[in-house]
Amino acid sequence: MASDTTLIIGGGPAGLEAARLIGDLGQKAILVEKRDALGGIPIAEHYAALTHNFRDAEEAMNELIDAAKANPSVSIRTGSEVVECSGAAGDFTVKLAKSGNGVGESIQVGSIIVATGFQHFDPGRETQMYGYYEYDDVITLADAEKMLKENKFVTPSKGTPPQRVCFIQCVGSRDRQIGNEYCSKVCCGISSKQAIEIRQQVPGAKVFIFYIDMRMYGYWENEIYWPAQEKYHVQYVKGIITEIIRKGDHLLIRGEDTTMGRPMEVPMDVVVLAVGMEPSKGTKEVAKILGVKQNKYNFIEVPHDALDPTATSVPGIFVAGAAAGPKDLDDTMAMAGAAAMKAAALIAKRMRGTA
Amino acid sequence: MGLFKDKYPDVAYEEKERLWEAVKADSRFPAYLYGCYECGICVAACPSARFYDFSPRKIAQAAAREDIELLYEQMNDDVWNCSQCFSCNRCPRQNSPGGLITIIREVSVKNGLRSAKQALEGYGRVIYKIMGTGTQVSPDMLQPDAFPDWGPQVREVSAELDLWRRALPPETLHTTSTGWQVDDKTIIELYLIWHNTGVMDMIAEVDEGLHMILNDVMEEKLEEAGYEV
Repeated sequence: MASDTTLIIGGGPAGLEAARLIGDLGQKAILVEKRDALGGIPIAEHYAALTHNFRDAEEAMNELIDAAKANPSVSIRTGSEVVECSGAAGDFTVKLAKSGNGVGESIQVGSIIVATGFQHFDPGRETQMYGYYEYDDVITLADAEKMLKENKFVTPSKGTPPQRVCFIQCVGSRDRQIGNEYCSKVCCGISSKQAIEIRQQVPGAKVFIFYIDMRMYGYWENEIYWPAQEKYHVQYVKGIITEIIRKGDHLLIRGEDTTMGRPMEVPMDVVVLAVGMEPSKGTKEVAKILGVKQNKYNFIEVPHDALDPTATSVPGIFVAGAAAGPKDLDDTMAMAGAAAMKAAALIAKRMRGTA
Repeated sequence: MGLFKDKYPDVAYEEKERLWEAVKADSRFPAYLYGCYECGICVAACPSARFYDFSPRKIAQAAAREDIELLYEQMNDDVWNCSQCFSCNRCPRQNSPGGLITIIREVSVKNGLRSAKQALEGYGRVIYKIMGTGTQVSPDMLQPDAFPDWGPQVREVSAELDLWRRALPPETLHTTSTGWQVDDKTIIELYLIWHNTGVMDMIAEVDEGLHMILNDVMEEKLEEAGYEV
């Protein structure tokens, strides 16, 4: 029997937006989120401001959360996860369980949207990259984001404002040795956004960004990159840091300044690793449970991504956001809208008996 | 501190900083430098970059970084390789590396940097000619041995230079020691401009001897015209 409900897995930006839109279309949505709180990574990892418009992340996410919660057609299950799935497009049977607890309910849904997102690359995943677990003052974008949210950007080991901060781009991205050959798309913009925020919060600090290519597509160029250089005097140096060593009470970074064609060795108070995106644990688990194909990086595979960016290998199961690969928020929200429409259209056709 | 080893560690950081602040204080500076993403279009367009170890991109980049030590190095070693043709103005960020170099050179000259003196040494005669007479190249500079690449007719022309010049139609060209006859009113105005705008002070910084000779030449004329120097 055809079901009139769409299941959305994941309560981050993509899931919340898809759920709200299904509800707005007059259809039923069930949103399942493994964490106890909605809002996904921006909330769970204490984002300060969104890229690219610098809007307060918590405020923006709360708007999405409230819109989904206020929609009478959307039923939200936090602290829950999908444990089993059977059936086919129009008629799936999905078993849910309270996180960490086998007892659950069985629901009938017509379509499914996977919005299980990403996790930040762990710089200590395989090899100790840049001494992340060794030096207190080597942090990641997520760590920096949390300090910026609290309006207290300091040298972690000292608790005082830093004089010299640098970002190292492409940590865990574009790296054949690590296995993540893809570009994570957002780190250039986020590093630049954070560099601006650091210059605003600690005006005396010199901020450097060491990069391979700056990928500031579209308006990120004139809204983030150029102001970072021209207004906030963030120093962009093409050349990736080879290693970080401790010297006295500060860190010494080694690399090549390819712009000037010289090797460099300079002290830094704080080094921010611009870690990229990897599929979240939830994305990998859900892919297996639903039986959708994953690509070689374990993101959900999108077979015809150019013209059908929300389709998965299984009819009736759609994907939105970073579960399908690195995405910025603009693309995530657009994809959520497209996935919601595809899922709702499938159900509408089944209901009318035309498909 | 910059990203590399300082090439001039004997010069105090404060002095380098003072010179850089003078560059930045120039009213043209904001319109000459926005930011650099190292596209290299300026280097591609630069004639000097073809012949010297010179890069307008590095000038813009160092200025954007405010790398005081590197800028001091460039002020001494690089900026004099620029021919000031401004081909680099095609920058998509609308920077003007050539304009930055104009300002850096001016600061270098005003502060009597050794490199400025060296770079301008060869121009003493040209400056003397221009500032003394108000004209640039004069016919009597046309000496056959100095210009072999101009061909055999140079010898022929220079032998009877005075005659050739008098054959030219405008009377103002009937001279060999200046490019043309500059009347006294014009030369007085030029002298006054150079005195009042600080050009004479700049010359004093880089070439004391030249300054003295020019001053003598100018003083006489100006006093005749009733000006106190």
